[in-house]
Amino acid sequence: MKDKIISRLDELVEELAKGDEQKKAWEDFLVDFAEVCGKADFKEELKAPISNLLQYISEKELSEGIGLLYAKIDNFPAVDIYKAFIEVLGEINRENQMRITELRDILAELATPIIRLWQDVLLVPIIGTLDSQRAQSMAEKLLESTAATRAKFVIVDVTGVPVIDTIVGGFLIEMFSAVKLLGSDVILTGIKPEIAHTLVKLGVDFNMVIIKRDLESALTYAVSISAENTGRKLLNHERGNADED
Amino acid sequence: MIDVNPQDYDIVLKIKDENDIAVSRQMVKSFAQKHNFSLADVTKITTTVSELARNIYRYAKEGYIYVRKKETGADKAVSIEILACDRGPGIENVELAVVGGYTTVERSLGLGLSGIRRLMDSFNIKSEVGKGTVVAVEKRRRGF
Repeated sequence: MKDKIISRLDELVEELAKGDEQKKAWEDFLVDFAEVCGKADFKEELKAPISNLLQYISEKELSEGIGLLYAKIDNFPAVDIYKAFIEVLGEINRENQMRITELRDILAELATPIIRLWQDVLLVPIIGTLDSQRAQSMAEKLLESTAATRAKFVIVDVTGVPVIDTIVGGFLIEMFSAVKLLGSDVILTGIKPEIAHTLVKLGVDFNMVIIKRDLESALTYAVSISAENTGRKLLNHERGNADED
Repeated sequence: MIDVNPQDYDIVLKIKDENDIAVSRQMVKSFAQKHNFSLADVTKITTTVSELARNIYRYAKEGYIYVRKKETGADKAVSIEILACDRGPGIENVELAVVGGYTTVERSLGLGLSGIRRLMDSFNIKSEVGKGTVVAVEKRRRGF
């Protein structure tokens, strides 16, 4: 088998490869194949050459190539190669699945930055689609930081949310109510005109929170209120009745 | 519940897990945009599909959403028709479910179906306990 392949290497590569860049890949594969041919753990040994080859050609091309080799060479172990091929594909698939899970975890971490925008003011810009998992982790994170920073205002900006349906609305309402239970006020900003209309039609009501047109007015409002409070505190202090606050 | 021929429709979406909700929303959004619906109507249609997909995912676990463009009448008025079908548990009291503020699960506002009815131009629902639910809605394209 080994000699058969090596002796016809150039001819086989010529037929298998589509384009020059595939030639080297097929040649390497055939040499590796000839090397491991006839070994006991032949199938296992083949996995590495197959996955190398798959980096250069598509599965369909490989499958066709195996068919071609089977036709050209007597006793070509096509079944074993297919077995190894399927196992390699399975491994690639598992790897991809793992990568997707990893990326999802990474996204969940990136998804909701909580920014301290001013003294006593937190900003939560929500971007993208909210699913139940993300909404849950976001709410937990926000409540924790609200409690930890003792923020008086939490600005939630939904400019980056493409659609607010009743479920997303429900998530937000839940989160707002929880933040209010911590003694902080919520300011909601960034609702687009078309979403406003849709929300009204849906009957989703955000009347438990303060709504501002954009981040700028929300910040102005929050800062002016805290400044007012601080000012009053100072005044009271001068009068000697600071305990009232 | 009813027989649907998928070939009559422009888009057929299978809803099976939570990611399918976002995917179906995106597909229908670009479909409505392609047919020159106004931004407000595109949002309404997108939201409706999102609600329907969520209902399927949440209650029936699995189902299909069919979408097509329709031209009716002599003036060929364009509209988008959306059909959501499942073989889930069905709705016990359809009238109550459509009124709004009614829900059978926690963490839900119970506004989905009533909201869809207000968002769209026509709304039909058929449901049988143990057999499934079909919701058919339509949105007409308004002239500018």
